[in-house]
Amino acid sequence: MSIDFALGAEAEAFAAEVRAWLAANPPERFPIDGMDAGYGSGAHSRPFLQALAAQGWISMTWPRAFGGAERAFWTKLVLLEELALAGAPFGPLTGCDQAADAIMARGSERLARELLPRIARGDATFWQGFSEPGAGSDLLGLTTEARRDGDDWVIRGHKIWSSHAGISSYGLVIARTARGASRSDGLSMFVVDSTSPGMEIRPIVSLTGGVYHYEVFLDEVRVPGDFLLGTEHQGFRELLQSLDTDRFWGRFYKAPALRRVLDQLVRHANATSRGGAPLSRDAYVRRTLAELATDIEALRLYFYRIGWMLAEQVPTRYETALGKVFADETGQRVGAFGLELLGPHAALAPDSPWAPLGGAIQHFYLTTMGHTIAGGTSEVLRTTVATRGLELPRDGRGVARGA
Amino acid sequence: MDFRPTDQQRMLAAVARDFLDKRWPLAVAQDVARDGRGLPNDVWRELAALGWAGLRVPGDLGGSEASLLDVVLLAEEMGRAAFPARYVTSAVVATAIIAAGTSAQRQRVLPAMSAGDRFATLALAEPDGSGPDGIALTAEVGRTLDGVKRFVLDADAADHVIVAARGGGGVTLVLVDARHPGVGVSSTTTMAGDRLFEVTFAGVPVRADDVIGPAGGGRAILDEALAHGAVARAAEIVGTAQRILDLTVEHAKVRVQSGRPIGAFQAIQHACADLLRDVETARGLVYHAAWRVDAGRDAATAIAMASAYAGTRGLAVARRAHQIFGAMGYSAEHPLHLLHKRIHAASVESDRAAHLDTIARAIGLA
Ligand SMILES: Cc1cc2nc3c(=O)[nH]c(=O)nc-3n(C[C@H](O)[C@H](O)[C@H](O)COP(=O)(O)OP(=O)(O)OC[C@H]3O[C@@H](n4cnc5c(N)ncnc54)[C@H](O)[C@@H]3O)c2cc1C
Repeated sequence: MSIDFALGAEAEAFAAEVRAWLAANPPERFPIDGMDAGYGSGAHSRPFLQALAAQGWISMTWPRAFGGAERAFWTKLVLLEELALAGAPFGPLTGCDQAADAIMARGSERLARELLPRIARGDATFWQGFSEPGAGSDLLGLTTEARRDGDDWVIRGHKIWSSHAGISSYGLVIARTARGASRSDGLSMFVVDSTSPGMEIRPIVSLTGGVYHYEVFLDEVRVPGDFLLGTEHQGFRELLQSLDTDRFWGRFYKAPALRRVLDQLVRHANATSRGGAPLSRDAYVRRTLAELATDIEALRLYFYRIGWMLAEQVPTRYETALGKVFADETGQRVGAFGLELLGPHAALAPDSPWAPLGGAIQHFYLTTMGHTIAGGTSEVLRTTVATRGLELPRDGRGVARGA
Repeated sequence: MDFRPTDQQRMLAAVARDFLDKRWPLAVAQDVARDGRGLPNDVWRELAALGWAGLRVPGDLGGSEASLLDVVLLAEEMGRAAFPARYVTSAVVATAIIAAGTSAQRQRVLPAMSAGDRFATLALAEPDGSGPDGIALTAEVGRTLDGVKRFVLDADAADHVIVAARGGGGVTLVLVDARHPGVGVSSTTTMAGDRLFEVTFAGVPVRADDVIGPAGGGRAILDEALAHGAVARAAEIVGTAQRILDLTVEHAKVRVQSGRPIGAFQAIQHACADLLRDVETARGLVYHAAWRVDAGRDAATAIAMASAYAGTRGLAVARRAHQIFGAMGYSAEHPLHLLHKRIHAASVESDRAAHLDTIARAIGLA
């Protein structure tokens, strides 16, 4: 026991294995089927997900009882880090991991039997049906309802901002199943097949011009009883319990992804002259990029520490909330400076033939606007850090998402 | 990967917390800063008796050859207590320089430093404030030192002054007896209570056995010692910022306005969350830098990052805390201003522009 930032020989050997595989299977050769939302997990590519599955990498850390290989916690971090550094299109992976974790932790025997092998093969992907037009930060304001009908559940309601819902296999849909004593009682989580009759999934065009979000209308959608995920009526509490680790996995790859963006900016600064001098010799450019590199390193180390806490089962109270805010605000600064560095080219649309770096910086910049909103806004999460991390008094008016 | 200090390190930090709470509570730190009397001798001796003056001294010379991470954990506690700057200057920077000297030099100085009988200071900055890149005072073996250095810490009480001079075609480090009649000191007042001096050298002989490392070849020794000092200073800043955070959160829980503790207002909550972010992320960079040094890995970039980041974030914490304390933080009686000034003093030592350039090169900027 002593402070040690090294991942160890086993993890480093695995990192080398992933890098070698990426060199042999260049990520840019895989067809893309969904937008890159800039988190660092790249675009949505089913073929890439299936290639990862063929390596056994989706299920490698699962218990053997569920078909996994029980590899060490760190192997997953190494995998995500290497994929993000390479800019690989592993968009759907985090959603698959989260669904698999939930199914292994509290799913029915049938969910485990039917879905886990498909997840491990890269065949099943997931969207989240939490937010509604009237329920954003205050998720408990949701109005989608599910009622029992024989052995089945029947869901009616309206979800919005469901990322990649139109191209994913199943939704994790939270709905009210009972009127409890408190608003947080009586909610349940369902695994809903996207092709179920009664589902209408409409694309929403994003600020980038691409489609990332969908609006989902559920009209008497029938779900088998054992596709209720977890404990009936306790869906919200169970969601809160997994939120912490979900937040960690959803942002762990941000630091390496930002490092990749920074490297692009460095290469651009080295290769571009303005007014006769290379941008890389400009004191303001040098210092700003050095400061951003420092912030990214601080972010990387912070997430390593949270990863260690999770691996050692040290309770995390506020760390993932703090880490997410820091990750997303650092990303916004990287994106903003990226545009500044591009000078007049920054005004070009990402698909303009003149756009430097294939328009990647413009696209990234625009997506960063959503990061501080999605999965708990920075305001709500700062409140979480203050009340849970610093034990400042809660104002007692409702529990917002992330609390 | 592991983020747990060893049992020994935990003990070191716990003993330090206890000792400093008793011997150096904030009220005492404020008194000493106000009247400018500097660190009392007995406190330095007690600290040495705890083994701290000799943490970086080799084992055969009375020290414990502790890791830089050990120093960092102790320095955090010192920062928390607003302890004066002498510890890092003498027990980290000067000790590292002397440890690079000949066995006779080490024997002559380090056991006594480790025991707390003597301490050393560093005469590096020129009157214009320039550091290692702008050394002007000259020293050639066989001649004399004649000239002025500024910003020399505790020069009136020090036993040894390590003078960084220009000579032998590079940097020459000279170990000078602070009581030599050719050494004159005049003090100035400072914001954070450190005692800084202008030191005048007049006809002080430079003998071959006073030169540490090769004449003209002292730069590498100096740079490494300063780098380790920068990590320890950054750790002090983290400790001071943590103290500010603790005091601020405590205040936010008990100060009531409009019928509720101000800590129930989101504007205050969110500011406090940012203080926590700054302290914790800075600590990560500092531990990482120390770990790299101890593990014998290339640490230049990590040190530059830790030092540059701790300085700016530490000051940001201090300024934001002033806002949360309201008028209370403006008064001399309240400790916030001293903690703020201590962070300031520590961050001034860090050459931020140079650090950022080190980082710029490390990330591949041409
Ligand atoms: C890129 C992206 C991807 C998303 N993906 C999904 C998805 O896959 N599935 C899904 O279900 N949802 C998804 N969402 C929706 C997301 O969960 C919500 O946007 C988020 O919970 C905030 O809700 P809102 O947008 O309605 O904003 P609001 O809750 O209306 O917030 C608006 C503003 O008010 C502030 N505010 C609200 N409440 C408080 C409070 N208590 N204290 C202080 N300030 C407050 C917010 O911080 C924010 O600044 C996604 C959103 C984005 C941007």
